Amino acid sequence: MNMNTNSKLQEILSKGEFAVTAECGPPRGATPEVVRKKGELLKGYVDAVNVTDNQTAIVRMSSIAACAHLLQMGLEPVMQMVTRDRNRIALQSDILGAYSLGIKNILCLSGDHQSFGSQPDALNDFDIDSMNLIRTVQTMRDQGKDMSGFELNGPPRMFIGAAANPFADPFEYRVIRLAKKIDAGADFIQTQCIYNMDRFKEWMKMARDEGLTEKVHILGGVTPLKSAGMARFMNNKVAGMDVPEPLIKRMAGVPKDKAIEEGINICLETIAELRDIEGVHGVHIMAIEWEEIVGQIVESAGLTPRPK
Amino acid sequence: MDKKFIPKITVFHCINAFSEASWSSVGRDDFEIKFIKLPCSSMVKDVFLLRAFEAGADGVVVLVCPEGQCRYVEGNIRAKKRVAWVQNLLDDIGIGGRRLSLSNMAARDTAAATQIIDDALKNLAELGPNPAA
Amino acid sequence: MIVAEQKPLSEIKEIIAPYKKILILGCGTCVKTCFAGGEDEVAVLASALRLACKKDGKEIEIEELTIERQCEDEFIRESAPAISRNQGVLSLACGAGVQALARRFAKTPVLPGVNTTFIGVLERQGIFTEECSGCGNCRLDIFGGICPVTRCAKKLLNGPCGGSQNGKCEINPETDCAWQLIIDRLKALGQMDNLRRYIPPKNWRTSLSGGPRKLVREDHII
Repeated sequence: MNMNTNSKLQEILSKGEFAVTAECGPPRGATPEVVRKKGELLKGYVDAVNVTDNQTAIVRMSSIAACAHLLQMGLEPVMQMVTRDRNRIALQSDILGAYSLGIKNILCLSGDHQSFGSQPDALNDFDIDSMNLIRTVQTMRDQGKDMSGFELNGPPRMFIGAAANPFADPFEYRVIRLAKKIDAGADFIQTQCIYNMDRFKEWMKMARDEGLTEKVHILGGVTPLKSAGMARFMNNKVAGMDVPEPLIKRMAGVPKDKAIEEGINICLETIAELRDIEGVHGVHIMAIEWEEIVGQIVESAGLTPRPK
Repeated sequence: MDKKFIPKITVFHCINAFSEASWSSVGRDDFEIKFIKLPCSSMVKDVFLLRAFEAGADGVVVLVCPEGQCRYVEGNIRAKKRVAWVQNLLDDIGIGGRRLSLSNMAARDTAAATQIIDDALKNLAELGPNPAA
Repeated sequence: MIVAEQKPLSEIKEIIAPYKKILILGCGTCVKTCFAGGEDEVAVLASALRLACKKDGKEIEIEELTIERQCEDEFIRESAPAISRNQGVLSLACGAGVQALARRFAKTPVLPGVNTTFIGVLERQGIFTEECSGCGNCRLDIFGGICPVTRCAKKLLNGPCGGSQNGKCEINPETDCAWQLIIDRLKALGQMDNLRRYIPPKNWRTSLSGGPRKLVREDHII
């Protein structure tokens, strides 16, 4: 891990601080106020904000634009970039453009298949995969060259992130995949949201055993549950999600008006456990369309004030 | 109502389930019936069923052995699948899949055969003549 | 083989609507195997169209013919007399066959009767699966004989995405995750190290992306 970017997120992680990141979904429209409102809710509570890229293949304001709006407010964005919609020409172009705007963090993803989204008839791209994208950004940053070998007029010195899902199959392969992403150039990892802490700890142990926690910053993902219904839905309908039965029962066991409180409690317990796991360097709070809860969670978790 | 509707039925049958010799239309002038024998009901190709309708049949009945008793093991299952496929096609064509039916009958059970034909006739009374005849 | 599916009857009716005398031309190779356009299918379609047209009060005369293959002139030639007798040809061959016919019989409208879908295999009777997308640069040796370009919905070359669950793809619970299959196969072959290998971005120039392709074998041209 090197200090070759001026990303604030990298600075915080390199100092050994427990980092806090959250997510912001851009609007299905051209109104920047929506983004600014979300930014206001998160300001002061997070070190960086992920901006999703046409998540679930639903057309939204572009990640790069929403990141630019957040930058103007003094927030540190993490631009998510999927390989589903753009080929290598467009991806490299957007990386250069993003960095020129001041975006210093990028999360490289494949992206949800377009059949889930608002334009299932679209021709998908996947010219390159997320692994190739990670390597591309690394090459652009460290060698100052694009994919064609051309020396760039100004390399994008970005802090490179990737996603990891300790709960998807096949389990034994997940750490091989993590190692591969690190080799490709990932500096930090954000995981899928954690409900099955045992399985997560097992995955972390495997990562430690391979020496991977020395090479990459891992941020554990959390999402506060709102109801037992939500827990069940996520477990059954969302790919790669593991919500253990005891947790669903716990959510179902409280009266409906106490469900949110219980969900937040579970979230806080998860964060507390994460802080004790060797190799976990931060938490990534994904409160989808519920950004207002992030501040409360960060405060209650004793993670405020955030470092300047 | 000018002319009384005299339905024409074509029966494809497996020789193990049914024999034309056992059939008597004596006293029944309210329908016309034609029998086509096959060594096994699985020999009933899609095109035979369609051509029966092209030849003027108002209804087509396929008689097969009971499941599990096909001499050629799954011949009657294949016939069943094929008939279902052609029924859909007849719906697409617009003459109606209900005109085609498949029934299992135990070997030489003439009473069953009579019942099956009577049911087909009842059906045809409702459906009327083949619009593509 | 090339797998195709016959178009719905309603669509075929629309396509042949302008014609009173047509030839339905079948193909005895790929489309016969997948029950879309062989001799039997020609007979059924002709019969169905005659019935449908009779019902609709539309005049139609349908000739039926099947040749060995519609992608080779040697066989296409045989259909010349039949084609000259008719106003249009409804070809039940794959898209290549339809175009080969159109190329040779420029004055007769050649109409497609099937939707050509994929290069695949017969998994078991009645089930055909897509296996190859003709990328022009086969690396099945790395992937244990399972193609991630074709069978992974995202064409991922470096491992599965996070949507792989219980060995199934996120887009359809009945679709196997190609990467699960690859991992299982590599495990059985003792080649798990292939999974650690970084596969660089694919050169798509050899695929359709680089434009329609042509193969020229000079050693066979005199």
